[in-house]
Amino acid sequence: MNFIKIVEALIAALYFCGAVVNVGGAVAGRKKAVRAGAALTLCGFGMHTGVLCVLIAAQWSTELTRSDFYFSLLAWSLLLIFFLLWWRLNASFLGLVAAPLALILFISSMTLGGTRLPLPPALSGLFFGLHIGALFTAIGLLAMACAAGAAYIVIEHKIKTKEKLSGFFKTLPPLPTFDKMNRLAVAAGFPLYTLGLISGFIWAGFTWGRTFSWDPKEIAAIFIWLLYAFLFHQRVMIGWQGRKTAWMVIWVFGLTIASMLGINFLLPTHHSFKS
Amino acid sequence: MQYEICLIGLNHRTADVEVRELFAVKDSRALEERLLAAPGVREAMVVSTCNRVEVLGVGKAGNDLAGLAAAAWAGHCGREPGELTPHLYVHANLAAVHHLFYVASSLDSMVLGEPQILGQIKQAYRAAVENGSTRVIVNRMLHKAFSVAKRVRTETGIGASAVSISYAAVELAKRIFGDMRGQTAMLIGAGEMAELAAAHLQNAGVSGIMVVNRTLERAEELAKRFSGRAVSFAELITRLPEADIVISSTGSPTAIIRARDVKEVLRKRRNRPMFFIDIAVPRDIDPDINSLDNVYLYDIDDLQEIVEENLAQRQEEAAKAAEIVDLATEKFGHWLASLDLQPTIVDLLSFGENVAKRELKKTLRRLGPDVSPETEQALEILVLSISRKLYHEPLVFLKRRAREQSADKFIDLTRRMFNLDVETVPGDAHLDRVGDDEEGDFPLVGGEDCVSDAPVDKPAAAAAVSTVPTGPTGPLAEDGRD
Repeated sequence: MNFIKIVEALIAALYFCGAVVNVGGAVAGRKKAVRAGAALTLCGFGMHTGVLCVLIAAQWSTELTRSDFYFSLLAWSLLLIFFLLWWRLNASFLGLVAAPLALILFISSMTLGGTRLPLPPALSGLFFGLHIGALFTAIGLLAMACAAGAAYIVIEHKIKTKEKLSGFFKTLPPLPTFDKMNRLAVAAGFPLYTLGLISGFIWAGFTWGRTFSWDPKEIAAIFIWLLYAFLFHQRVMIGWQGRKTAWMVIWVFGLTIASMLGINFLLPTHHSFKS
Repeated sequence: MQYEICLIGLNHRTADVEVRELFAVKDSRALEERLLAAPGVREAMVVSTCNRVEVLGVGKAGNDLAGLAAAAWAGHCGREPGELTPHLYVHANLAAVHHLFYVASSLDSMVLGEPQILGQIKQAYRAAVENGSTRVIVNRMLHKAFSVAKRVRTETGIGASAVSISYAAVELAKRIFGDMRGQTAMLIGAGEMAELAAAHLQNAGVSGIMVVNRTLERAEELAKRFSGRAVSFAELITRLPEADIVISSTGSPTAIIRARDVKEVLRKRRNRPMFFIDIAVPRDIDPDINSLDNVYLYDIDDLQEIVEENLAQRQEEAAKAAEIVDLATEKFGHWLASLDLQPTIVDLLSFGENVAKRELKKTLRRLGPDVSPETEQALEILVLSISRKLYHEPLVFLKRRAREQSADKFIDLTRRMFNLDVETVPGDAHLDRVGDDEEGDFPLVGGEDCVSDAPVDKPAAAAAVSTVPTGPTGPLAEDGRD
């Protein structure tokens, strides 16, 4: 589909310009540039939505077997969460992370091409959809909270050590804004992550006949879930906030990404992107 | 230059407070009127604040405007000019413009970058406008001063950071808590700085203030002032969990808040952040608490350091601001130069029109009475447009020169070249063109031949000025843009 390829190149170009203008604007402290960058990214996002819809509508059974589709979908859900957070929490600074990350994911999706995933009989589509949807939303939230957490840690350290906030740091919002991202990633992200895991296991039960098969990815996921659960408990029950929770979200997100890229590409697993 | 701008004044650097008191101008309107009554003075404006008095005047060149202004000012205050002059600074023309821009941008303020002065100048200007004591030059000067001040504020960080201890504390609190509404501050002990900080916090939106003091009466008194609650000293630790911001300034020789108290308090608060400001010497709060998560402690030295850094930063930003002021002053100079140019343009165009009309008349006479009105009109349009087009290039040239440098030389050359000042004409025919005329009140241009001719159509000449196509860099075009 040549038309789709052209549109994809256009989307990548929009994401690229959006990311450059956004990051440049944020570093130079120009609000208008940040907005313009976000607007470019939003244009790309709109076209991206269209492309995804077309792909799913036209040939959804084959698309679901393509690894590039998932990267594209992850880029899309990341941006969706970014725009929602901007709209609800006025967290424009997240564009610093969301725009470049979406760009990288999208370009990887374009370069990956059509490597295949062994795909399930149609029966289990619901659980598979839940598995991908819930996990990707949780990962998107984690990515945003990870960026916010890094900012929190740096600024908190500066305040603690009485260092002056200057230049770029001065333009960032106050500490509670970053902590709000963290709360969202924990309070909403953890249930979603749990849902994603459970639906994955159920789907595996339907498709492979075994819910748990000691796949490296499954082991990693359980480990991350335990860490996530601990964070959820400390944050929601004990009332942890600030630095510790910021660090933990960074760990959870880092491990998730590591397991996604490392295990999916390098180790023998059901989740491999290689055919 | 036809007119001279003069600004005299005194400020906190040139005059002690006693002198400033003596020469403070309470009724600026009266002084403006007194100054306007002096010979040759056309515009006047007075700014008087507790730190400075600035008297701005515009008048005919070569009249010792500074002396007139000083005399009027001293007279207004019932003093001798001799008492005033040693404390004065005097700026003429572009230096005066520069000074005004500099002051309005708060670069000359006692605390560098504090913006009150801009409001005071705006107020003084409004009063002067209502009083009718300003005209073209002062109006434009002030409008430019306001826009320069705005540029300085937005393009440099001169007013960006706190330069007082209490304000620095509030800025930090905003960083830590974000929204100040819903936060509670606890004031332990009293003292000017603590109260100032509490007042700043309240302005920033803090919703509750608790006052703790060893003597409960004193606490109640203070609590009343901030419409807060008084808390007895014994209850300090038990009430501490309610406080988000704690300002301590007691005379206690030992620490009154210890790290293990705070640990307990944090648990009760479910780790909600706390900000301790210790402005007591010796310190009231155990410095170790700064290592606890979600607890921030600043003592007086920390805050002092921030203030000093911010002041140093303002100093740096002031250099950038000075560049903006210099640039604006230069631009204003171009405008002033174009003011000088204006009469010459009018004269030159009128001269051309006169020649054209004279020749037209001769031609019409020769053609006799049979000429149709249409032809007559067409001929008139023809000769006038030729005369205007002929002068177009010289005018563009003059305008460009006027922007680049002092155009005096070229203006002078042009006037002599076209004999615009009619030097060969005997004294009685000489039209006084440097009279106290208004803008738009253009002098008649005449020569021997002209006298017999129809009088110059003054409005037409004036209109011609605006119809002259201006080069892209012409001062008139620039005026339109601003």
